Amino acid sequence: MFLTRSEYDRGVNTFSPEGRLFQVEYAIEAIKLGSTAIAVRTDEGVVMAVEKRVTSPLLEPSSIEKVAEIDDHIGVAMSGLTADARTLIDHGRVETQQHRFTYNEPMPLESLTQSLCDLALRFGEDEEGEVGMSRPFGVALLVAGWDAEGGPVLFHTDPSGTYVQYEAKAIGSGSEGAQTALQESYRKDMTLKEAEVLALSTLKQVMEEKVTATNVDIARVAPKWHLYSPTEVEEVIARL
Amino acid sequence: MATALPVRAQVPAAGQATKQHASWSPYDDNGGTVVAVAGDDYCIVAASTRMSTGYSILTRNKSKILRLNPKCVVASAGMQADMETLHKMLHSRHVTYQFNHRRPMSCPATAQLLSNTLYYKRFFPYYTFNLCAGLDDEGRGAVYTYDAIGSYERVGYGCQGSGKELIQPVLDNQLKAASPLVLPQQQWLSSLPLEQAVDLVKGAFVSAGERDIYTGDDVEILIITKDGIRTDSLQLKRD
Amino acid sequence: MMRISCPLIDGPATSAAQDACGLRELGVGGAPVDSFPLPAVQDIDSFEREVVEYVKPNHGTTTLGFIFQGGVIIAVDSRASQGSYISSQTVKKVIEINPYLLGTMAGGAADCQFWERNLGRQCRLYELANGKRITVRGASKLLANTMFSYRGMGLSMGTMVAGWDEAGPGLYYVDSDGQRTKGKLFSVGSGSLYAYGVLDEGYRWDLSVEEAVELGLRSIYHATFRDAASGGTVSVYHVTQEGWTKVRGEDVGELHFRFYPDPAKHPCNSVDPLAV
Repeated sequence: MFLTRSEYDRGVNTFSPEGRLFQVEYAIEAIKLGSTAIAVRTDEGVVMAVEKRVTSPLLEPSSIEKVAEIDDHIGVAMSGLTADARTLIDHGRVETQQHRFTYNEPMPLESLTQSLCDLALRFGEDEEGEVGMSRPFGVALLVAGWDAEGGPVLFHTDPSGTYVQYEAKAIGSGSEGAQTALQESYRKDMTLKEAEVLALSTLKQVMEEKVTATNVDIARVAPKWHLYSPTEVEEVIARL
Repeated sequence: MATALPVRAQVPAAGQATKQHASWSPYDDNGGTVVAVAGDDYCIVAASTRMSTGYSILTRNKSKILRLNPKCVVASAGMQADMETLHKMLHSRHVTYQFNHRRPMSCPATAQLLSNTLYYKRFFPYYTFNLCAGLDDEGRGAVYTYDAIGSYERVGYGCQGSGKELIQPVLDNQLKAASPLVLPQQQWLSSLPLEQAVDLVKGAFVSAGERDIYTGDDVEILIITKDGIRTDSLQLKRD
Repeated sequence: MMRISCPLIDGPATSAAQDACGLRELGVGGAPVDSFPLPAVQDIDSFEREVVEYVKPNHGTTTLGFIFQGGVIIAVDSRASQGSYISSQTVKKVIEINPYLLGTMAGGAADCQFWERNLGRQCRLYELANGKRITVRGASKLLANTMFSYRGMGLSMGTMVAGWDEAGPGLYYVDSDGQRTKGKLFSVGSGSLYAYGVLDEGYRWDLSVEEAVELGLRSIYHATFRDAASGGTVSVYHVTQEGWTKVRGEDVGELHFRFYPDPAKHPCNSVDPLAV
């Protein structure tokens, strides 16, 4: 097994004889090194909570961005190589604005997710006259949004360009433990406030440091995007 | 990753360009009139079916209405060739939209798309005068009127094409409500009962047929409600 | 007609324009289209002039805007005409770019609508990328750059970009020649001469908000009275630190009787003292 790997894990365009694309699998591994991000869907909206690794007291915590607004009805939480996420986010912002411009309506969440995954899948492609992507993105996204028709929706995307819909999902280094915890405590009839607590308490369980207003970010889409201020985060922490 | 290139209208290089006659005109007016009236829960769209060039009648049975889905249609007067191209383009865009977004295009979305599609030909416009009509997201009748290069506006009723100078004043007289711009906001959608509105449209076409050489033969009438599209027709004189 | 390529000016600001039309999706002939198609003629200029005769795009307007102690006032009429035919009396000539920015519409309706919508999208992308609102100066420059890149192509647009940013109230005039001027008071459109007359006479920096709104309303009303291509309803917007609000929307027909309650006293109707 190890032998086959070393032979077939160099090119992103080469399948191994067992039918695997190792570079893509490695990219998925990269996410497990990232900080934990959690999203929980309720009928009132989607809540995202992310860990920010403040590695030095000299670091400015507000400069770490692990959640981002795509459009006022869509937000993402990320884990992995966040630099790669910037490319996806910029693409998503252009796509959603483009959709608004063309159809005068907000872009459906699944279409946006599909479009992000189309971009994620473009590794190894050499487009005519352009330099293609040299490797898959090393980032996973939790795409949270509010559809005009379907209400709150949550998708998870990974470097292979696959997307799956979830009620609650954790990604990053603490994802395994967090996902089990979510599975135990998630209820379909949760309120948004309960979801805030669930997301943050789950995050707290897998974080090494103590949860403070500076080392987590919370955002929601209900039905509009909102990034919690430090005081709002403290208010949620107080409810844990 | 495909980067967006700056928009640049491409001017054919000298010599490469096709030499054209000094008075070359790519346009022909094939006439015809289209009317749409929106109500509280319905929308009526009507179009004459005569197609002419100059004083010659080319055919008496040319539909000018594109049915995109049960809640949205586009009716176009002007030049038939451009109308055909525009309708084909919109149809194809509607099909791809359904593939991408798994739902039919709403009437307001189609209205915006039509505006952009017309503007895309800003420097070589479609010689068409359009109405986009159907039901909006709340189920109310919606009519959008356009100029040839894509400026548009939602209205309660509208008329385009060769008979517009004859029909629009009649509609104004019967249906005009407060301007949507007036403050405090007033009811600006006319709410005539459906049957009365159909009669009004028919009457308007009969009158236009009397005075406009490009309006005649038949009128194709679509009545759009939440239950789908019902058709009706009206025979005009054949002279 | 040759055009000079100015990639610097066209830059990222207008690169969005191809997508603006959904051109990428249109994909004519399988390949992505990255330009507005042009007719295969040698003299584009006269072709465009001829086309205008055919398609008769919506035209005609009076718009005005001015800065005073209480913010910015924008006032417009609502008529659109195609030649001598009034194609609409209910055109919305103030384009609400975002809660802090307004654009006005004079000249070709489609040109204004399309490019100001495009400006709205550019401003939104700016906001998402930079985490703060674009300034009025920045927004007007984006629009002016777009206009400059289409210079000589026959676009027709005379617009005022008004809003509020960290520098306070802002008002810019931008047109399809690429001109961009910062100022305190502008009027644009076929009825602007008449509007200027009333506006210049009544303008003071220390007008109260109520007086300023009334001045805007009155200037547009008088322009609709003398200019056949202006009419419909008068809309007045007020921009402050908190963003814009629409403060007035009044039918010109009713305004006439408010300004001249006694028809006999109107200069156009008064009794001829020389008549026997």
